[in-house]
Amino acid sequence: MRILVVEDDEIAAEYVRKGLMEAGHVVDLAGDGELGLEMAKSADYDALVLDRMLPKRDGLSLLSELRDDGDSTPVLILSALGEVDQKVEGLRAGGDDYLAKPYSFAELLARVEAMGRRSDPTAAVTKLKAGDLEMDLLARTVKRADQKILLQPREFRLLECLMRHAGKVVTRTMLLEKVWDYHFDPQTNVIDVHISRLRAKIDKEFETPMLHTVRGAGYRLQV
Amino acid sequence: MFTRLKRLYRNTIFRLSMIAAAQFALLSLFMLGYIYYTTVVSELNRVDIEISSELEDFAKIHSVLGPNGVHEQVILSMLPVRDSLYAYSYQGLPTGNLESLPPFSDNGKYNFLATLFGLNNLNARTFVYSPFSDNDDTTNIGVEKKTTHRARGQYIKLAENEFLFVARDVERLMVKSERITRSLIIAMVIAIAMGLLSGLFVASRFTRRVGRLNKLATDVRSGDLQRRAPRDASGDELDVLAEHLNDMLDHINHLMQAMRYAGDSIAHDLRSPLTRLKTRLESAAMETKDEAVRDTLLRSSDDASELLRTFESVLHIARLETGDRRELLLPLNPKVVIEDIAELYEPSCEDAGLDFALEIEGKHMVRADRGLLSQAVSNLVENAIKYTPRGGAITLRLRKIRSGRVEISVTDTGPGIPPDERQRVKERFVRLEKSRTLPGSGLGLSLVDAIADLHRAKFVLSDGPGGPDSRMPGLRAALVFPRMKKT
Repeated sequence: MRILVVEDDEIAAEYVRKGLMEAGHVVDLAGDGELGLEMAKSADYDALVLDRMLPKRDGLSLLSELRDDGDSTPVLILSALGEVDQKVEGLRAGGDDYLAKPYSFAELLARVEAMGRRSDPTAAVTKLKAGDLEMDLLARTVKRADQKILLQPREFRLLECLMRHAGKVVTRTMLLEKVWDYHFDPQTNVIDVHISRLRAKIDKEFETPMLHTVRGAGYRLQV
Repeated sequence: MFTRLKRLYRNTIFRLSMIAAAQFALLSLFMLGYIYYTTVVSELNRVDIEISSELEDFAKIHSVLGPNGVHEQVILSMLPVRDSLYAYSYQGLPTGNLESLPPFSDNGKYNFLATLFGLNNLNARTFVYSPFSDNDDTTNIGVEKKTTHRARGQYIKLAENEFLFVARDVERLMVKSERITRSLIIAMVIAIAMGLLSGLFVASRFTRRVGRLNKLATDVRSGDLQRRAPRDASGDELDVLAEHLNDMLDHINHLMQAMRYAGDSIAHDLRSPLTRLKTRLESAAMETKDEAVRDTLLRSSDDASELLRTFESVLHIARLETGDRRELLLPLNPKVVIEDIAELYEPSCEDAGLDFALEIEGKHMVRADRGLLSQAVSNLVENAIKYTPRGGAITLRLRKIRSGRVEISVTDTGPGIPPDERQRVKERFVRLEKSRTLPGSGLGLSLVDAIADLHRAKFVLSDGPGGPDSRMPGLRAALVFPRMKKT
């Protein structure tokens, strides 16, 4: 993926760049809002990581300008203001996802990669497939190697989220947001408990496990 | 009743007013004595002297003119002065306007009393007689028509079988003095009653005002630092005391805010370097090929995450405490929130070997923020899971309590929190001794408290139902929402 990071904190920007590059992405940096807007307009990026507070032009204004221009590049907004209302404000301005500072790099990476997928036209499908795992979104059924698997409604949504990002890391925070719509981090391993239940249903009777835990990051559904 | 009296007796003001009333009663008693002395005793002494000198005159007449002279003089003296009374018996022949000689007996007790009252002539006696029922008796105008009158008299023995008794009617004097005495006693009783009543009034007023100050002190001690003593602008001692208390509370509040602000600023300023530290650790972990090094780096990164989470919580609480989000609260059905939380934590409870029950009674609406409410309830459930030993039970309950308010409660069968610690655990970073070994930042209940406060809900901690292990009372943590105003 070709990613533009607009961030004025040079040290943070450099680490984000390095991390994204290590994950196999091409990264450009912009240190202020004006430069960021110029670069975003001039080149075709797959994703934008945008700090909300920027010198010269703030992140939200940059974003509206970009959207007014008809640019639909997915944008991840970074902000020190972690409250939910600010998040809503950011998403309303045209952001695709929102990450509050301080964030962990794994979280940022997972979200950027998820965003890149989201812009794919596959989002409207009614059937998801990952390896020998199949999900029918209309009939609400799941099959692995043609064997029917019965899931609770929440487990279904959990698996759906993992399958939509198959092969990519999905963080616990992302799962909480997308599956439970909670924007706080529980202090306990409550998500791990749900994952292990799901794992028992989709992996237990099969030779190759699909649902993997990624240390320090989250989970990945391996195809 | 008895305890009320006892409490009243302990009241300073009431005691003071009782002392004042007693002093007044003593003073009236003294005044009564003085007035009695000046009006009655001195008058009686004067009468006694008059009688004595008349008796001396009679003695002289007797020595010169004999019994006949006395007899004539008695008749002469009887005629003009109506309140003079005489009884003269000479060889069994009585003369005078007294029907009979009043019985006299020498009595030491009487003498003692007479001396005590200040009567000088101990030979004189007060006695009662029946005057002739004379309707146009002008001497006794203003005195009720009584069949008996009081009189003061003295007798001498002029010779063998020859007695003379001279007396004066003192009924008018006695009635007058009795009237004064009676009015003085009534005044005294009224004064004592008034003293008692005003004492009660002042004492209850004072108690009420002092009670308000005491209530303030207990409220502040239980954490409500925003409370202030009511002022009445009277400028009296209690009002001044209230002013001083308020100033003191303002100052304490200011200091606490400054302290909290310092803490918040530190948390805020440390976030950026910590985030960088974490990012650096993570990218180093990704780069290294050495498994052991990677593990160390990742664990360090986890520690940094925990620190960041703590700072986040501190700042989150600080933001909640400003109350800015209060306008964003919307009417919602807490049932949905509770069911979602139950669904989220049921597997965790099962893994922890705990019985989980969800109880929802009736339909309810509260004004709340879904996210914050979920977070508060989630914190309570997580706490319950963390502290309840295997084999215990956790109940998440939504119901309407007797006052008609909506209550969300989490009950467990864990070790509970001792009553004197229940307020303290809501403070930031406070962790009870036995929980120090367990993971956690000591911010969970503070966050719940801040969220409850934002919702104007009460966060109540109490003993639970008691678990299978009788040494553990369990904990009941409840959020009691205010009744929703119909808009």
